Amino acid sequence: MIDSLKHLPPGWIMMVGALLLPALGRRASAFGALVLSLLSVGMFCVTPAGEWGQLNLFGNVLNLVRIDRLSFIFGLIFHLAAVMASIYALHVQDTKQHIAAMIYAGGAIAAACAGDFVTLFVFWELTALSSVVLVWATGTDRSYRSGMRYLIVQVLSGVLLLSGALLHLNDTGSLAFNHLAGEGSSVFDLSVGAKLILLAFGIKAAFPLLHNWLQDAYPEATATGTVFLSAFTTKLAIYSLARGFAGTEELIYIGCAMTLFPIVFAVIENDLRRVLAYSLNNQLGFMVVGIGIGTELAINGAAAHAFCHIVYKALLFMSMGAVLHRVGTTKATELGGLHKSMPWTTTFCLIGAGSISGFPLLSGFISKSMIITAAGEEHLFWVWIVLLIASAGVMEHSGIKIPFFAFFAHDSGKRVKEAPTNMLVAMSMAAILCIGLGIFYPLLYGLLPTEPMAMHHGHAEPYQPYTVAHVVTMLQLLLFAVLAFVFLMTTRLYPAEMRSTNLDTDWFYRKPLPWLIGGLGSGIARLDSAIRNEFIDCGKSVIKKMAGGFGETGLLSRTWATNTMAFWAAMLLGVFLLIYYS
Amino acid sequence: MSDSDSKNKEQDSWFEKRGNIRMMIGALVVACIGLGLADLFYKNDHAHFDIEKSFAFQAWFGFVVFVVIVFLGIALRPIIKRDEDYYDR
Repeated sequence: MIDSLKHLPPGWIMMVGALLLPALGRRASAFGALVLSLLSVGMFCVTPAGEWGQLNLFGNVLNLVRIDRLSFIFGLIFHLAAVMASIYALHVQDTKQHIAAMIYAGGAIAAACAGDFVTLFVFWELTALSSVVLVWATGTDRSYRSGMRYLIVQVLSGVLLLSGALLHLNDTGSLAFNHLAGEGSSVFDLSVGAKLILLAFGIKAAFPLLHNWLQDAYPEATATGTVFLSAFTTKLAIYSLARGFAGTEELIYIGCAMTLFPIVFAVIENDLRRVLAYSLNNQLGFMVVGIGIGTELAINGAAAHAFCHIVYKALLFMSMGAVLHRVGTTKATELGGLHKSMPWTTTFCLIGAGSISGFPLLSGFISKSMIITAAGEEHLFWVWIVLLIASAGVMEHSGIKIPFFAFFAHDSGKRVKEAPTNMLVAMSMAAILCIGLGIFYPLLYGLLPTEPMAMHHGHAEPYQPYTVAHVVTMLQLLLFAVLAFVFLMTTRLYPAEMRSTNLDTDWFYRKPLPWLIGGLGSGIARLDSAIRNEFIDCGKSVIKKMAGGFGETGLLSRTWATNTMAFWAAMLLGVFLLIYYS
Repeated sequence: MSDSDSKNKEQDSWFEKRGNIRMMIGALVVACIGLGLADLFYKNDHAHFDIEKSFAFQAWFGFVVFVVIVFLGIALRPIIKRDEDYYDR
């Protein structure tokens, strides 16, 4: 019995259990979701590595489950995120949100443990369909439209994945989800199928120009929904990229662009949850760079960074969710001085901010530095420089802007209650994890795909994050960035927060595209109506002419003399005879 | 001291008191000087690039990059900033 339970596909307890939550009622369904998360994480920890759950689909073997070190670390952190987010959402009395969250988390876990593209596709789409409920649950017209855009983009990603998988099957005869890189290390060496799969992963990983669904939808979700959203979708894409496209050179440059452009947008964004969405995009860039570099250290760095990132990003979204829950907004222009009434939330937010910035003894430091070192080891000077710039950028928007404008800055005069107990418990768990990962980093390193090794004087040795040089240089970068902030604030050069909507790539499909489609539609309608009117006019004129012909005085209804008919009959016969005998 | 002044004084938290703010900024400046000088006391034998070995590279780099990012944001604002209800019209 226990043995067969061990072989339950990961995530399925949450997905199937979610369907039973309505039976518990509105109040208890939140606790039901937490129990499901805890049960699932317990089962996952005793699940053995390996591949099982083979199915035959039209002669092709599907592997429902493949657990190796890469899928295990993602499966584990997805579970931990689900547990923390479930605790965070315990006060929510909306069963549909709990059902959606459990199906979403379970789907992401099942996808990370999928051994073939069809299974991956099914759960890829399930995460899209379930997660959009968390956006719609806000219940506003704005969130509904944002959710629709989110859903269209996510489903499109799934369709591309399936198309790519079928082409890949045609090329190779296999649906197994393994490394897809071609003969060289470039995207151009990939088959068409693999390119489509990469594009599908790229949409979900929020590659530049494909990214804006993230900043559009995440800030529109409920306070608790965004915490779930921040953990799964994009990191599932990171896992998939690491599995399928490690060492693909262009990913380095795509990742660099991802780390850079969001930091500038984040400076002038007023909605702090949207700032966090830009920040999320920037952090994904670090991971994509690591995957592109593709060395063992870089892949370990990407996996470790995904692990740490899920925790501190969830913590930051939780702190802003608590602000949203209590104050009703996360716009910087409306906030400030909340440290007086929400001291615990402030403390947890500061721990999250320190972690994402990469302060020593916190989680970001022990993972991000691995990717930066990997770039150095490959002598990628400009990539290394970009990652340093991005690190200073993280300090700006997540390290300083988020906590400063929400909890300090000018006092908004708002006096609210501290966050509910369940939210504080979830935030404290995430904060403890941030500190724990920073200090007891060997525990995380032990879970990585391979033992992280770094080159030192020509020979490999276990990677050490806490060298004097690492600690001093990172502190220099961060504290001088803080000094720059103080300088800009005291000289009043730092831009004031303003109520605004800042345009991003979504502008193209929210303004000109509807206008174009609307214009095209009305153009076609006008053309169609013009053609139809012309036909109707023609018909009318024919009918009119016929009516004229058959009318009282018409040619065809006139009374003809019998001799006229006899004359024409004789004439026709004469002509016929002439033709016949000629 | 007027009533409103004394009320404001009462409401000021530790982080809002001018003396404490000055002290925090002073501590930051001292920490930055200390971190800059720290480069004189250790040898970075994990450096991959020569620039890493130059004096206080990441210190000035962090300062300059932060200022540049903020100025880029300021430059970007007039281009992309619209009214809050821009998409709702």
